[in-house]
Amino acid sequence: MTTNRTRLARASGLLFVPFAALAHHSPSMFDGSKQMTLTGTVREFQWSNPHSYIQLVVKGADGTEQEWSLEMGANAYLYNLGWRPSTVKPGDTLTVKVDPLRNGTRGGLVIEAVTADGKTLGRRP
Amino acid sequence: MSLRLSMARFALVSSVVVLNAGVWSSVSAQDSGAWQGVWIADGLTPDISGFPPPGSRWYKLLDPQAPWNEEGRKRFEAMMRSGSDRKANGWGFPMMMDGAAPFEILVTPHKTLVINIYRDVRHIYTDGRAHPADDERWPTTWGDSVGRWDGDTLVVDTVSVRNPPLYFFSAPPLSEQAHYIERLRKNGPDRIDSVMTIEDPVTLAKPWVLNLTYVRAEGTDRLLNDDYANDRSEVEAGLFTIVPPKR
Repeated sequence: MTTNRTRLARASGLLFVPFAALAHHSPSMFDGSKQMTLTGTVREFQWSNPHSYIQLVVKGADGTEQEWSLEMGANAYLYNLGWRPSTVKPGDTLTVKVDPLRNGTRGGLVIEAVTADGKTLGRRP
Repeated sequence: MSLRLSMARFALVSSVVVLNAGVWSSVSAQDSGAWQGVWIADGLTPDISGFPPPGSRWYKLLDPQAPWNEEGRKRFEAMMRSGSDRKANGWGFPMMMDGAAPFEILVTPHKTLVINIYRDVRHIYTDGRAHPADDERWPTTWGDSVGRWDGDTLVVDTVSVRNPPLYFFSAPPLSEQAHYIERLRKNGPDRIDSVMTIEDPVTLAKPWVLNLTYVRAEGTDRLLNDDYANDRSEVEAGLFTIVPPKR
């Protein structure tokens, strides 16, 4: 399915190279066709702009811990969806659906976040 | 204080009140307070990813079916084909009027401000002035706007919009000769309808008419601005990636 995100990703270039160190960006860096689910422990929740981040520690298939950098919308967007700076805390167990980074490093765009007791954290207002 | 000084002050205050009354009456008749609140383009509310979720409508200002002429179609296809990537400082005009960023409309007697969460600001002067002369204005990210009240409708005339835009990673590839007219009208307590008409001798074969709707942004009663204090995206091999957090 061609989503708004993927269409925006395709239309993200125009005539420029990245020009600003501090700015928001298009979703072209994420691969929406390879959505994956991760369960892990929160190391840090960054309530910030232009994007918020969850640092999630996930056990790999070999039992080793791997830290993922998971991007979310700006804090203003999360606020409107019911999130607050205290919504996610270090030590929380989370299961997240993410669109992974295209370059293969451990990172992605959070599409859904579910707590250990099965509660989906505000996706829509 | 002397009687003469008191009378002079009274006269001065009275004249200011009288001068302002004519301007304000046309605005207060529109119930300017009703425009207060946080608005967002209907159908573009982002999910937790920061982008409108799958199934959302596409941006009307990025419409391949707009009445592009040959030059406009060529520019539009180049925009859609481009594989490069870039960041944006905000949305700029006109994208901020059909984007995923909540905004406020502040109606005052002499001007109306449109401000979004990315600190894009439009200054729409409604005090009867015209656009500055050609040699006193130049293309900017938000253009030059003047407005007037036509009954309950705010009519906004915008020119001198910079293109290609520097503020957003996608925008209609219009020229800097483009002329934008918006007619914004409150349609009930929770809805503003706008008809935006764009004319551009360089990229459009005929006027491009867009019907835009704004609804109350849910979940907030204030505009939340914040600076870009935590930008963790950097380009590697031509594609953005997320850099590790600062520890």
